[in-house]
Amino acid sequence: MPTVVVMDVSLSMTRPVSIEGSEEYQRKHLAAHGLTMLFEHMATNYKLEFTALVVFSSLWELMVPFTRDYNTLQEALSNMDDYDKTCLESALLGVCNIVQQEWGGSIPCQVVLVTDGCLGIGRGSLRHSLATQNQRSDSNRFPLPFPFPSKLYIMCMANLEELQSSDSLDCLEQLIDLNNGEGQIFTIDGPLCLKNVQSMFGKLIDLAYTPFHAVLKCGHLTSDVQVFPRPEPFIIDEEIDPIPKVINTDLEIVGFIDIADISSPPVLSRHLVLPIALNKEGDEVGTGITDDNEDENSANQIAGKIPNFCVLLHGSLKVEGMVAIVQLGPEWHGMLYSQADSKKKSNLMMSLFEPGPEPLPWLGKMAQLGPISDAKENPYGEDDNKSPFPLQPKNKRSYAQNVTVWIKPSGLQELNRLRKAALAFGFLDLLKGVADMLERECTLLPDTAHPDAAFQLSHAARQLKLASTGTSDYTAYDHNITPLQTDFSGSSTERM
Amino acid sequence: MKIFSESHKTVFVVDHCPYMAESCRQHVEFDMLVKNRTQGIIPLAPISKSLWTCSVESSMEYCRIMYDIFPFKKLVNFIVSDSGPHVLNSWTQEDQNLQELMAALAAVGPPNPRADPECCSILHGLVAAVETLCKITEYQHEARTMLMENAERVGNRGRIICITNAKSDSHVRMLEDCVQETIHEHNKLAANSDHLMQIQKCELVLIHTYPVGEDSLVSDRPKKELSPVLTSEVHSVRAGRHLATKLNILVQQHFDLASTTITNIPMKEEQHANTSANYDVELLHHKEAHVDFLKSGDLHLGGSSREGSFKETVTLKWCTPRTNNVELHYCTGAYRISPVDVNSRPSSCLTNFLLNGRSVLLEQPRKSGSKVISHMLSSHGGEIFLHVLSSSRSILEDPPSISEGCGGRVTDYRITDFGEFMRENRLTPFLDPRYKIDGSVEVPLERAKDQLEKHTRYWPMIISQTTIFNMQAVVPLASVIVKESLTDEDVLNCQKTIYNLVDMERKNDPLPISTVGTRGKGPKRDEQYRIMWNELETLVRAHINNSEKHQRVLECLMACRSKPPEEEERKKRGRKREDKEDKSEKAAKDYEQEKSWQDSERLKGILERGKEELAEAEVIKDSPDSPEPPNKKPLVEMDETPPVEKSKGPMSLLSLWSNRINTANSRKHQEFVGRLNSVNSRAELYQHLKEENGMDTTENGKASRQ
Repeated sequence: MPTVVVMDVSLSMTRPVSIEGSEEYQRKHLAAHGLTMLFEHMATNYKLEFTALVVFSSLWELMVPFTRDYNTLQEALSNMDDYDKTCLESALLGVCNIVQQEWGGSIPCQVVLVTDGCLGIGRGSLRHSLATQNQRSDSNRFPLPFPFPSKLYIMCMANLEELQSSDSLDCLEQLIDLNNGEGQIFTIDGPLCLKNVQSMFGKLIDLAYTPFHAVLKCGHLTSDVQVFPRPEPFIIDEEIDPIPKVINTDLEIVGFIDIADISSPPVLSRHLVLPIALNKEGDEVGTGITDDNEDENSANQIAGKIPNFCVLLHGSLKVEGMVAIVQLGPEWHGMLYSQADSKKKSNLMMSLFEPGPEPLPWLGKMAQLGPISDAKENPYGEDDNKSPFPLQPKNKRSYAQNVTVWIKPSGLQELNRLRKAALAFGFLDLLKGVADMLERECTLLPDTAHPDAAFQLSHAARQLKLASTGTSDYTAYDHNITPLQTDFSGSSTERM
Repeated sequence: MKIFSESHKTVFVVDHCPYMAESCRQHVEFDMLVKNRTQGIIPLAPISKSLWTCSVESSMEYCRIMYDIFPFKKLVNFIVSDSGPHVLNSWTQEDQNLQELMAALAAVGPPNPRADPECCSILHGLVAAVETLCKITEYQHEARTMLMENAERVGNRGRIICITNAKSDSHVRMLEDCVQETIHEHNKLAANSDHLMQIQKCELVLIHTYPVGEDSLVSDRPKKELSPVLTSEVHSVRAGRHLATKLNILVQQHFDLASTTITNIPMKEEQHANTSANYDVELLHHKEAHVDFLKSGDLHLGGSSREGSFKETVTLKWCTPRTNNVELHYCTGAYRISPVDVNSRPSSCLTNFLLNGRSVLLEQPRKSGSKVISHMLSSHGGEIFLHVLSSSRSILEDPPSISEGCGGRVTDYRITDFGEFMRENRLTPFLDPRYKIDGSVEVPLERAKDQLEKHTRYWPMIISQTTIFNMQAVVPLASVIVKESLTDEDVLNCQKTIYNLVDMERKNDPLPISTVGTRGKGPKRDEQYRIMWNELETLVRAHINNSEKHQRVLECLMACRSKPPEEEERKKRGRKREDKEDKSEKAAKDYEQEKSWQDSERLKGILERGKEELAEAEVIKDSPDSPEPPNKKPLVEMDETPPVEKSKGPMSLLSLWSNRINTANSRKHQEFVGRLNSVNSRAELYQHLKEENGMDTTENGKASRQ
């Protein structure tokens, strides 16, 4: 889930903060301090996150495009100038453009807006934007909600009392509401100082940037893993079941399926599954070799040499062309598979299916999947030449059966289908018309025609006429017109 | 979309009064045969559909599209109205398909133009429609039951699509008032009923249809709220194709559908089999499949669809599929489709191609000319889905390779073995419910988890961690011991495997013991066998609680495997002597081998007799009360101090034989717990007291063993 940090560099951010007995700080220094902490955290615990840095005043600028290089981001923080007034709407519009250009419209992004709560004056101020946001046309619509799944975190370099004294807090809350409630406002608890800024950013980190650790299990084979990006809670139906579903920290493999059978299923999100060595375990394993001066690098080397289930699983999934079905929670499943990034690099990846008893119609209900050893005979065949998948639906779709649609004249088809549909649609005139047509054909038959042709044509015509009267047994929907029984092989004189 | 939105329940009310038998006055071209003939044939009289036929076929087309795209949870109730209401089906899922509806309509037949118009009315149908909206569907029932005290969260909304021939705007208002009033009344009834639900929201869609060429007596009116419960809209539509077009637009609005036109589909021409022309096919599907276009504003509308200028369609280009390579695409959504023109030739060519199992990638034309694959058409079990493929930059690009992380430097994972394991643990659907012995329902997925648990009780991940799994000779045992229960044949195979290993040890066959991490040649041969037997014991012990037959395999193993440490020591010394002998007397070696072969032949004989004995033991079963056989030696003791014949080889024939007898006997009674747990035939009393005192005593216990 990429992050865009949107930093307010308007003049109001240079307002001094009085801290007793130390040098003078400005709010922007506090902001930079907080962001430094965030970047440092990401650099160590959330390395794979892409982050971009945008600064804004009345204009906005992309200081650092999406990157995993946190040094660059850090450097940019110390190279920021001060500009004029705050104009939030254009900055948010800028965020829309940057994200859509880079990631499109379906990848969730986190927007971290750092501001002092002075939201500008006059045109372009947030107050003005919000007041006019109902009078917009499609072309200049307010940028919220963001046109991609998002969380908007607003980090205020101000405390609650300060924001409440103006209508700033109301306006910011409106922003979150406009983003369909996706996001949160953070304010500084107590006096403005480095320590309190740290604790505010600490809360953001806890909320949005703590790595998701889990245990991958396949029976007794287990591995500690980090799942990146963090799986987001999911709401199935806000009306019936408004409580967001969260995935288990025990990821339990329940069985395996061939890639051809799972067949590019739709997924909510994809995640890397990275094996990790937890400190405790690491120490245990390393006994005898570990000494206290050991650096992180050699600890990693040791971890690299300890067999890990993830690596085994990944290797076999890749070789066999299979996926592992993994249980994520009650009635929630996903799949693990090998994903190649390039020819050399590949990784264990996990995709989440939509929660529910039957996420993929072609597999049927997940709870009904069982081990092949319980089946009377191996459903994959002795030579692995069969498959129990895909499951066939009870009713065929219209395109998989011969449905009759007569809206266009080209849709009028063969006799019995025609007859049935005419009866259903109550289009009896058609039957009469076709009967007439057949009778006419009969009179036009060339001399060379088989004598049976005449019999069959007039028979069909008679049957259709009977049906068109709408009275007799011949109108029964399921009745079928069968060919006249004729016999030209024997003595024809008898028949005549 | 909410499950219980207005689209959950749709009621069609179609007018069956005498005036609906009137012609729509749009001729149907059916006398196609005349076209290609020589002149002189009198063309047949033209025919045209009645208002009824137009109404029925248009509503069937609405249902066809809906059922194709939403086969579940979107339900239709079809009502025909004349002198009374005729409800053609119910909300149950079995009634939800075209065949049922067509058969029911055939039974109703066309309206009778000679019936008394005075006693016929669309009102009967509308009243029945409201009534039926109050009826609970199985989905609503299920959701309510599941939510228990939150049952009120389950909504009851619906839509009434009424096709009639109204007389005037005031007539339309009268119909609306009637629906409004009926909802009010039925909601009162439903409030006091467990089986009915109050209508929270009802959308009334009134379609006035009239013959082509006539003036409409009713004016169009957009959706308007008549009350908090009821909204109504009026469409005045000419019959014939116009009515079909209207319902096609409505089904798209009602079910949030969008249109995609596949262009450049190469198809063989009927007449000229060698050439192929390019065709277009228009498909309908849920509009989420276009979400990327909608949000990015990068919408490539192929202008208007061929039917006219009424709707938008997104054009995607067919990419001729390569060979059937199986690939796992990153797919963010899959949506069922329905062709707009289901039985046109291009449509059926496309759908048949897909139904035969081929997938087609679709390319999004971009102004820049760059090629972006954005969708895929693929069928799964007779249903065609439009898959949305992610075409944006991946946030997971350039991840650290798995070889750089934990366990990444290990090179001897049992990849092939685990592949075999995965194939054995593949899943398959069990559609019929199964029951456990206690009568409760058995969940197949739980069985799958159980099996994984059993199969992984002892599963070394790397080749150098295991001996037995590198030995072909162990396979017959290893493959069955993990099972929940064993057949007699399985047990016999396990025993054969063990005897075979004993035989190998006699012959001093080399074992595939890993020498990784050890200097020189690695452990001595007898040490290798000790490692192998220990590992085999670990494997078998992990499963002894599965069944009594598993226990028997362990017993056999314990009886056959090589000796305890002090015995090992003695043997080692003996072995050293042997080695020397081997070096000096090479000629004797051949004789040795000959002898060991004879031994193994004799062993086979014993095995055969053992089989018979086994069968006997099965027949003559002692009661648990019978006295213990006098010569019975406890199992563990047997392990620690084997009775006789310790000089050469792991086991003599006599000991093999007596062990077999002992094992057979031991099965006939339950062993004393004390004896089972005894160390050197001595059981420690009052163990629980020590356990309560904690670790120290347990260690004492261990110490006493040494």
